[in-house]
Amino acid sequence: MGSPLTFGLGVNANETLHSIIDKSVTAETLGLKYLWVADSPVQLYGPTVACAVASRTSRIRIGLGLMSVLLHTPDHIVDAVTTLYNTYGDRFDLCIGVGDRRQLSRVGVRVDSIESLPLRVLEAKRKIASHLHVAGIKAKIWLGAQGPKMLGIAKAFDGVLLNYSKPEMIRWAIRETGLRRRGRSMIGTYFPSYVYLKPHPRILRLAKVSSAVVALGATNAVLGKFGLYEKLRKVRQMAEQSSTVEAILSEVPDQVVRDFSITMKATNLPFYLAQLRHLGVNHAVFAYPQNHSVETVKELGKALDLAT
Amino acid sequence: MTSGAPTDRILRVASVAARSGMYGIWVGEDIGRGYDVFVQASLVMLKAPGKKVGIGVTSPLVHNISTIARAAAALREMGSGRFRLGLGIGGLQDLARLGLTVKKPVALLKDSIDVLRRIWAGETLTIKGENFDLQQFLARYRPGFSIPLYLGVRGPQMLRLAGRIADGVILSGPLAYIEKALKIVRTEAIGRPLKSRLRAVVWLPTLVVRNTADKELAKVVAATVIADTPSSVLEMSQMPEDDVRNVRKTARERGYTAASKHVTERLLDTFTISGDAGYICQVFHSVAKLGADEVIFGPPYGAPIVRSIREVIKAWDRL
Repeated sequence: MGSPLTFGLGVNANETLHSIIDKSVTAETLGLKYLWVADSPVQLYGPTVACAVASRTSRIRIGLGLMSVLLHTPDHIVDAVTTLYNTYGDRFDLCIGVGDRRQLSRVGVRVDSIESLPLRVLEAKRKIASHLHVAGIKAKIWLGAQGPKMLGIAKAFDGVLLNYSKPEMIRWAIRETGLRRRGRSMIGTYFPSYVYLKPHPRILRLAKVSSAVVALGATNAVLGKFGLYEKLRKVRQMAEQSSTVEAILSEVPDQVVRDFSITMKATNLPFYLAQLRHLGVNHAVFAYPQNHSVETVKELGKALDLAT
Repeated sequence: MTSGAPTDRILRVASVAARSGMYGIWVGEDIGRGYDVFVQASLVMLKAPGKKVGIGVTSPLVHNISTIARAAAALREMGSGRFRLGLGIGGLQDLARLGLTVKKPVALLKDSIDVLRRIWAGETLTIKGENFDLQQFLARYRPGFSIPLYLGVRGPQMLRLAGRIADGVILSGPLAYIEKALKIVRTEAIGRPLKSRLRAVVWLPTLVVRNTADKELAKVVAATVIADTPSSVLEMSQMPEDDVRNVRKTARERGYTAASKHVTERLLDTFTISGDAGYICQVFHSVAKLGADEVIFGPPYGAPIVRSIREVIKAWDRL
């Protein structure tokens, strides 16, 4: 038997720390097992946010990442995990990978010019794991992956976080990893989410933005595989030309929202979670805009109560 | 304190400082020594509410400038205005170990200050220069604020840069050097508006000495400082390079402990503040008289650490 399905909340590190902490405390109170604190060049520094969250919570496990190995050296990543672990104990996991190519290119990291990305990530993982092991730190190391090349190295990690929500895509991604569905590895999905009791138009729109962001960050191989390459060509061009969000959104096909996020009534969640279990997923992370407010986090809590 | 210290020690020292009359706490980055300086500064911020907390210093050679900007932004928010950010190139030994070099250090720090201030102001930046490559970069963490920026610098050109554009300067070195460095910085800062008065901070490696073992440790500290001191600082403090040549050579070849055997009494007094708590405070006082706004009681403090810090705090109160 594989591990039971556990749930996490993605933390949006471009809000105020106060707001992040409020939602994190709510997530802990609701019994969620994980908080995943992202680390993007345009957001607050993930390890500092993780520190603030850890100082105000006591049980919930904190996932740090995705930390890009192209933005941070393995030593920096080890330093961050070590400092957090030594202060707050065995409450941290780490997710590493390449990261969002478009955001990285904005700060001078040209992903396309780097050869052998999977090898680079593997080498970083080896160094990080070795340092953490020597220091007696038990943090699991997850791989954040989406494209087939990166999925192909997932076996070397304690777990993989897939940036997919559609069951068909998840099934394909798991097959690419070569991981066994009921094996020891953690298979997680991290997706834009809005599970609601009563829908709010503004948050539905945020879900659309979020799913478009994930789709735009997908590799050509993935878009081609699922017949989205041509459909997103115009949207990609507009994003590169820095068109307005409204203009871009008007061109985003509804299929993208369906494929790259879960936007559903709470009553539909049990069926979706059953599909994840069937696929072999044992960790599901509900990301932006589910964390939009304390209320939307509570809505998720109620939905999970109904589902489990 | 420096980020290479174990977290429990950082927290202990922060706790003592929090309960004392100290103005603030500075955390210097020991590059690649096992701990994250931004997280450690966060811990200090949480442990010492009400105290100013600064990073003094981190280097744009070591972290992407966007990482420094967002880590500082998080610390600013955590500290409700108590946070100060110090920038520097990095210690000579650390940079050599990491294989990092910089051709134009003055331009790098000047550009760093400019870029950080613009990121925090909420500007969308496109810069393709020798030092930074940012394309349509806009911080999403509610910019529109500023953070006091200090430069940890040594040479005359750097000192003049600090006097012109920084909110503060962090100096370290022999007292003869500090005196001259302060003059350069203050002269360059003449004409700045009163509200942007430059704050001068002096960081001194300090050690309460009670016995022979303490003195041996002080010599190791002196050897470490000497190995990392640029020639420009030696010139400004009129210290002949011959006097430190053996220390540097031995440090390079056999490490700081071996090099400490070449540290004379004069070198010890020049490069560290070591003695009893009363003596240490007298030196602090003389630094204040030279024009410093803030003196940092820097590590290794003495053994046991907490007792040493408390002794110096008491001695300062008496003074």
